[in-house]
Amino acid sequence: MPPEAHNRMAEQIAASLARCRDSDYEAVIEGAMLAASHWVNLALHVSGATKPENDMVHTYMLTANDLQKYRIVASGMLDALTEIEQIRPLYVRGNVPGGEAAARRARELLDIVRRGAGNARAE
Amino acid sequence: MKVAAHLEKIERFEDLRRRLDKVTDFALWFWVLMNSGTNALNAALHSAGITEAVDCYPVQPSVYLEPAYPPGTFKPVMRALGDVIHADRPRIEAELPPDLQRMVKAMEVIESYRDPCIRFGRDATAEVIASCETAYLECLALARKVIGAAGEASHAA
Repeated sequence: MPPEAHNRMAEQIAASLARCRDSDYEAVIEGAMLAASHWVNLALHVSGATKPENDMVHTYMLTANDLQKYRIVASGMLDALTEIEQIRPLYVRGNVPGGEAAARRARELLDIVRRGAGNARAE
Repeated sequence: MKVAAHLEKIERFEDLRRRLDKVTDFALWFWVLMNSGTNALNAALHSAGITEAVDCYPVQPSVYLEPAYPPGTFKPVMRALGDVIHADRPRIEAELPPDLQRMVKAMEVIESYRDPCIRFGRDATAEVIASCETAYLECLALARKVIGAAGEASHAA
């Protein structure tokens, strides 16, 4: 997808997340994952690491070679997205206590990714 | 997870679904439907005895996070089907009764829009929204029926 389309989708999801409560923690974590994925793809496309027709879906589906290359241009963003994805099994698919705190952490991580995307667009 | 835990998650998703706008919040609204519907499918599969209701949390097909020692830690294990991650992930090998087959089909309708609309930018038209909502409500209704029938059967036994 073109970078600006990724940005539009990420902003839409982020706006929806702003309307979520602490008790909506599963949706907050999932939404953070989706928005972050779009912003990471934006950064990869504008840097030339990937083409717009080649979007990343999940960090855990990347090869070691992909990760090595992508981390050159977006290491902080990828680390943040990876951490969001690691939250999902326990708190979204599972019912481990601490979902609201996990969702607050997901929001913090999404902010890191958002700032990274902003920097990438500015360059 | 146990059936009660799935039902609790559905309740939270339903509360949020009613607060979201289907158009302006489409991506999150869709993802709520997909997650809630998958919880309904898992609850029904457990109630029907097709899959195991166990507090292990899927990471990828056949890999689950299981409570470990010390308490509050988890370890990855390979195990038989507990919860599915999506209706087709992993594909359920057992023969499903008609209502569960219909639930899987309903979730497949929703899943068919997942990557095109959420990841790859296809327009979420009124038809897409209506199709997803109809499939989701059918899935929920069937889950109530399957879980209810299983509850009645266990009381009678």
